[in-house]
Amino acid sequence: MTLEALVAIIAGALVSGSLYALMASGLSLVWGTVRMFNFAHGALVMVGAYSAWYVSNRGGIAKALQPIGKSIVASSEDSGALGSLLLPLGEWILSIKGGFGLALGVPFAILCCGLVGYIMYVLLVKPFVGKPGADLIVIITTIAGASFMQNGVQVIFGPRYKQLDRILKGPPLQILETAIGLQEVLIIILTPLTLFLLHLFLKHSKLGLAIRAVAQNDDFAHLVGINVSQIYPLTFVVSSILAGLCGVMLGGLFFILPTMGAQELLFAFVVVVFGGLGSLPGTIVGAYVIGFIRESSAYIIDLYWAPVVLFATLIIVLIFRPRGLMGGEDS
Amino acid sequence: MLFQVEGLVSGYGKIDVVRSLSLHVDEGEHVGLFGPNGHGKTTLLRTVSGLIPAKAGKVRFRGEDISNLDARLIVERGLIHVPQGNQLFPQMTVQENLTLGAYVRRSDSRKASNFEKVFALFPRLQERRAQQARTLSGGERQMLSIGVGLMGMPELLLLDEPSVGLAPLIKEELARAIAEIAATGVSMIVVDQDVELLLGICDRLYLIEKGAVSLETADVSQVDQAEILEMYFGKVT
Repeated sequence: MTLEALVAIIAGALVSGSLYALMASGLSLVWGTVRMFNFAHGALVMVGAYSAWYVSNRGGIAKALQPIGKSIVASSEDSGALGSLLLPLGEWILSIKGGFGLALGVPFAILCCGLVGYIMYVLLVKPFVGKPGADLIVIITTIAGASFMQNGVQVIFGPRYKQLDRILKGPPLQILETAIGLQEVLIIILTPLTLFLLHLFLKHSKLGLAIRAVAQNDDFAHLVGINVSQIYPLTFVVSSILAGLCGVMLGGLFFILPTMGAQELLFAFVVVVFGGLGSLPGTIVGAYVIGFIRESSAYIIDLYWAPVVLFATLIIVLIFRPRGLMGGEDS
Repeated sequence: MLFQVEGLVSGYGKIDVVRSLSLHVDEGEHVGLFGPNGHGKTTLLRTVSGLIPAKAGKVRFRGEDISNLDARLIVERGLIHVPQGNQLFPQMTVQENLTLGAYVRRSDSRKASNFEKVFALFPRLQERRAQQARTLSGGERQMLSIGVGLMGMPELLLLDEPSVGLAPLIKEELARAIAEIAATGVSMIVVDQDVELLLGICDRLYLIEKGAVSLETADVSQVDQAEILEMYFGKVT
């Protein structure tokens, strides 16, 4: 193997590992705390990408606002004093036909995903918490929710593929004659930063400690006075925001379409099981390992064989370590 | 009267484990519960602290009916339950466990001074501050359990089987610590199989059998140990 190939594989592994890590850490957090698998997690990636696109791109909200801006300008011309107040507003609306940019798009995506995550918890999960068979019921309700969101987005935004603007524009980075796109570089750098923020939140904030407490022993969490029924939706919100960030990054790399996130969800499940259920460090290490296995098998064997190699690795690891790489023993 | 249970009924599913149980604790009093396993002592404590619902009867704390209140609201009122066995946050450090003990608002602001109190009582916890709870020995875990309870600033402390499974030396150390806590004026209900340990701490004892109080001693200084053992095991003939 040439050195260039190795650099390409490593860069690819870091990019896909980052995307898996963002997605799988949310899944793992929800599993650890609520003991449920959220099958709508992939749809949240899609929601993140679409909401960022809607605010940032000129085809989104900016386009929808143009007729309103025009009518405000038109009506201001024939109404006296009020009109002179309305005119700047109308002109401002007309001036944003290029969209609000990602500086507003990304925060909006975070907000949207948090909100959708909360609504999802209230509608699809909360009614079943503590009931027998809840984990199985929630698999079905979240699959239903994912399908609802995918089709809803298709109805609202239409079937045409969309793409987010690249945050950094410019020629790709050259490392040992291998070209790495700036978007990829950004993902490689921003993901560990995001995960570090997640770590700080879970380790040092009161709510973060409470999330871990509920995950480790919910009976005892009740006894120290934690409002456990508030921690569940909080966990969903945090996990949804992570999925949304993943969507924003994916949307800058590939096309945005209603079914995006589905394939990533599958790989994220592999990562969560591979790294050890409920173990966040395991999940993150697992994400990068899976990313590396995927990229190297795609390069060495064939892209279409990558999933086969992945699942084979997963099965072999589970034979020797049934709880995954870093899954703890049952106490 | 600080705390009163009246005709409490509770259990799991259709099975009642606590069957019309009544007892009371006065301000500053230390009360011991003993009796055979599986007769409802732990279920009583779990019902009082709001982990399982009461089916009938009342639990009063400072005159207010707290039965079927949310667990966190009961903690907020200063009624703190230190559960049996290894009930900790196993993959958190000693420090994090204790921090979570002061989760509710009334104890959050006094965290620093309570840390000092707990470390003064159990110096070993201070040494192992940065260690994960699951790596502690059985005795240390019990100390941490009690420490977490103290961080919540209890007005009534419920201790469930603090001495179970411990070696005699550690049991003695723990009994001394509990007596020290008792001497600070905290009211207590201590559940234990070890009547001797209870006699060293408590003012009064209840014998719990089949989910109800079957015997109640007067002031323990008035009765001798042989009588209590007789209550427990029946008359030796």
